[in-house]
Amino acid sequence: MKKKILGLLMSALLVATMLTGCGASSTSEATATAAGSGELNIFVWTEYVPDSVIEKFEKETGIKVNMSTYSSNEDCLSKVKSEAAGAYDIVQPSDYMVANMIAQGMLAELDFDKLPNFSNIGDSYKNPAYDPGNKYSVPYMGGAGAIAVNRDKIDLDIDSYDDLFDPTLEGQLVVLDDFRAVIGMANKALGFDFNETDTEKLDKTEAKLQSIKKNIVLYDSDSPKSALISGDCNAGMIWSAEVAMAMEENPSIEVIYPSEGAYLFFDNWCITKDSPNYDNALTFLNFMMDPENMAMVLEEFPYLCANTAAIELMGDEYSSNPAKNPPADAIAKGTYVENLDSEILDIYSEMWTKLKE
Amino acid sequence: MEKSHSKHEWRANTLPAMVMVGPVTLVLLFLVVAPLIFVGIMSLCKTDEYYNVVYDFTLVNYAKLISPDYLKIYLQSLLIAFFTTVICILLGYPFSYIIARTKSKKKTLLYMLVIIPFWTNSLIRIYGWRTFLGSSGWLNSLLMLLHITKEPVDMLYKTGTTILGMVYCLIPFMILPLYTAIEKLDTSLLEASSDLGAKPVKTLFEVIIPLTSSGIFSGSIMVFIPCLGYFFVSNILGGGNTDVIGNLIERQFKSANNWPLGAALSIILILVTLVLVKIYQKLGGDMDSLGV
Repeated sequence: MKKKILGLLMSALLVATMLTGCGASSTSEATATAAGSGELNIFVWTEYVPDSVIEKFEKETGIKVNMSTYSSNEDCLSKVKSEAAGAYDIVQPSDYMVANMIAQGMLAELDFDKLPNFSNIGDSYKNPAYDPGNKYSVPYMGGAGAIAVNRDKIDLDIDSYDDLFDPTLEGQLVVLDDFRAVIGMANKALGFDFNETDTEKLDKTEAKLQSIKKNIVLYDSDSPKSALISGDCNAGMIWSAEVAMAMEENPSIEVIYPSEGAYLFFDNWCITKDSPNYDNALTFLNFMMDPENMAMVLEEFPYLCANTAAIELMGDEYSSNPAKNPPADAIAKGTYVENLDSEILDIYSEMWTKLKE
Repeated sequence: MEKSHSKHEWRANTLPAMVMVGPVTLVLLFLVVAPLIFVGIMSLCKTDEYYNVVYDFTLVNYAKLISPDYLKIYLQSLLIAFFTTVICILLGYPFSYIIARTKSKKKTLLYMLVIIPFWTNSLIRIYGWRTFLGSSGWLNSLLMLLHITKEPVDMLYKTGTTILGMVYCLIPFMILPLYTAIEKLDTSLLEASSDLGAKPVKTLFEVIIPLTSSGIFSGSIMVFIPCLGYFFVSNILGGGNTDVIGNLIERQFKSANNWPLGAALSIILILVTLVLVKIYQKLGGDMDSLGV
């Protein structure tokens, strides 16, 4: 009998400890949401929002910011979808991904009464095609998939994406680890649309991509400048501001905007539909549109900026640098990524696998 | 009478077993079996126009897996894993032999040399290799300083670099089982072999290696299988040019955003693993030494 009681006690104890485990975790979750009033979870591109600016925001508002990063729009989309609703308050999708997320009902409408600093945004950046009337997004920074060349190492005349396919560049290129950017570049090199959907033309793009395969040694979207600075790669197609940063380290690096018209992107601040900290998120968006804060960002990550007041603060060194502030004609000639049907996207994905295998 | 007997049996045998094994079983059910079933189900699902998973039965994901491009990557992945394993054996065997045959304090020191790198995250160590091998890295600077080369040698972003990274990450998994096997080797057998006139080379191939083959088998399994999945090594040191099966899976879950296809690829990786473990068992491998 004693043994039986002991056995029962033991199993009761085990069950009880298991339940305690559950209890503890649910309490901690509850505290996390309770403290949520002073928190903000932001999900942004790598190397895009300086820590100094985040620290300033935390100091001024007392809101604690948790920053996570991604390195492609598709990563952002799949992560937001796979996390629990409301895991991120703020996301930073590019143009086409804003449209995609709006279409999927993933974003919250913005309350512009709480965003007085929106007046600092240049008129040409307001009311974009991917979000008419800026209902869901405010523009942050952008740029182009520019060509970078180290003139000390490479003599070849380069003025177009097509020139990067030249066989003499074997083993020299770093390109963005982004299938829409790289395949779009091949489309452009062939004179097709950046977002080509004609399957016969895409067959030609696939063949074209095989001719750049040997040239590309590195796919990197996070910090492609590093390979250029270290000399592991001597040319490539990377974010324009990354070229600017590489130029500061090595003056023989040059920025070129392709004659076919460059791949353009513009990144935006958006609030997720299920954001538990909507008001904090608006405070953050307004803070980021303040000219001084935006200038702090530009000091560290000199991208094309939508904030006219911040550009004025930056002065001539920023405005006249073609890598930091891409010339108007390069922007006028460029193309943005567009959302494609999933059948076409599957073809793009397959091409990407073939390129990288 | 019968009833009380069975009750007694339950109390004596079933209850303690349930109490002791139950919690582990629950953990395995929730954290291993359930996710595996979920992956299996997802691999049979469709996607809608935004690549959301639609729970609708299809085999289209599996049909995609036999495309020539994927087959090429499987083959490439198996080759990388094969070379990594061979190099690990060649480097790991002598080292394990030395540890096993060393006495006293030195042994602990040698053993620690294998273990210490584990204390740092492998991702950081792999980035370290990238800095070390780069055009302006230490190795190239040293080579140029010693006038061995004039221009920096391109060492990064090649298939060989990927294999180097894999060997570096996985060699402890080869050394540890080898060490256990060699440790058990009875030295009197070596003496007997020598007494009977066998030369050292003959002793090595006819006595030492056959008797420690269990360590070679389990080490090989533990190196070969992770090699198929270590996508970060091929991303960082291979520059994204030499895909392994892990890269395919990563891409479907991230940039391509096609989870059902990613799930189907994961199932393939699991099947490859099962086949390899089965071969290992057939060859007389001991499941315990795999930690299974």
